[in-house]
Amino acid sequence: MRKKTKITIDPKYILAVIVVFCLVVGVISYRFDEKMTPVRSAVGGVITPMQKGINVIGSKMAEKIDYITTMQRTVDRNKKLQKQIDELSAENKLLQQDKYELEEFRKLYDLDEQYAGYSKVAARVISSDNDNWYNSFVIDKGSQDGIKVNMNVMAGDGLVGIVVKVNKSYSRVRAIIDDSSNVSGTILKNSENCIVNGNLNLINEGLIEVSGIDGNAKIEEGAEVVTSQISDKFLPGILIGYVRDLKKDSSNVTQKGYLSPVVDFTGLKMVLVITEVKDSAELEEILK
Amino acid sequence: MKRYLSMLVMVVACFVCQTAIFPHLQLLHIMPNLLVVLTSASGFMYGRKLGMYAGFLCGALTDCIYGDVIGISILIFVIIGYVNGIANKLYFKDDLSIPITAIALSDFLYGLLYFVCFFLLRGRFTIFQYFAGVMVPEAIYTVIIGIVIYKFMYWLEEKLYPPEEVPLKAEGKIY
Repeated sequence: MRKKTKITIDPKYILAVIVVFCLVVGVISYRFDEKMTPVRSAVGGVITPMQKGINVIGSKMAEKIDYITTMQRTVDRNKKLQKQIDELSAENKLLQQDKYELEEFRKLYDLDEQYAGYSKVAARVISSDNDNWYNSFVIDKGSQDGIKVNMNVMAGDGLVGIVVKVNKSYSRVRAIIDDSSNVSGTILKNSENCIVNGNLNLINEGLIEVSGIDGNAKIEEGAEVVTSQISDKFLPGILIGYVRDLKKDSSNVTQKGYLSPVVDFTGLKMVLVITEVKDSAELEEILK
Repeated sequence: MKRYLSMLVMVVACFVCQTAIFPHLQLLHIMPNLLVVLTSASGFMYGRKLGMYAGFLCGALTDCIYGDVIGISILIFVIIGYVNGIANKLYFKDDLSIPITAIALSDFLYGLLYFVCFFLLRGRFTIFQYFAGVMVPEAIYTVIIGIVIYKFMYWLEEKLYPPEEVPLKAEGKIY
């Protein structure tokens, strides 16, 4: 090996070649994204099984650590939750009665249960993003399981994010706490529209931003925010979180504040993908 | 050749750990950046060429799996590898100060380039908040993990190329 006369190229030129290469590939992948899908799928096909395996080890480790640190907290919380269960079960009975009544009314009004029955597919979170600037993650279902771009992702009963990239066996989900995420929402009680956007600076506090609420609207602390009817990607009526600390913003026309999401993004393991893509073509036609 | 192959294996291993183990081991919602450590260490240990090679692999993996546009991460990592390769001239094996400084600075450089590419261009101007909230904690955590990885690479280097077999003049590291 060493005896051969090597052709040595100055690293400067290699750098220049790589820079040009990156720009070309960047433009290609930006313009013709679908051309790059085989490359992505091939790389993912090798990497994601490894991630799946290692992820098991990772979550085991995390569980062990959690187990030690949160024992006392769990006991306290258990007491609190027990109390809450009692309260809720009482409330639930009342609600159940209301529900029967509601169904009757629905029948009268000939309304279908529009939001109740989205069909869902469960998926496992196999890896998170590789740096601290983004909040997206990879799930182990892909196009072969019927996942499509723009499908909504939930955990429990709260909105987690949206599918942004689909490959054969895995897809990438952008969380609503991501800095570049914008969701148009509605405050459930008085149907005020608002915009929910992620903010990297607030992630540590477990909050996201909510803005664009009408300045005159009176909104209680803790009001529920759900995805809006007018959103072009999110299906309506999915719970996002609860409003906190609303204030008039500098323009004095709208209010902005914080929103604490219902989903706990730190311990996300299983998510539900709604296998229904919002058909915004219909909406666009109405708007025309 | 051995070095190139071992690099490939290490990049894949680090990428998998980074994405599948460290999300569970976050402190203050921050995780270390192993790929920057790897690129930076390859740079100052082996020179500009291998630094760029490691950076290229790291960037390509990141872009293929997480990126929206292929090329941006490659560019960022390759620049980091190249810049660290320049520090190869200062590198002295038994001293830890160069690795620590280089890894910390590389992580800041990474954060800065990322901020410019993905945040500044979207009109987020509050760089100091990002600096305090993301870049500084990340750099500290990364340096701590980085020393472990660097020690491992150093050990591997001694295994692959035992020092007595390689005469100093023909070391072939400085390209």
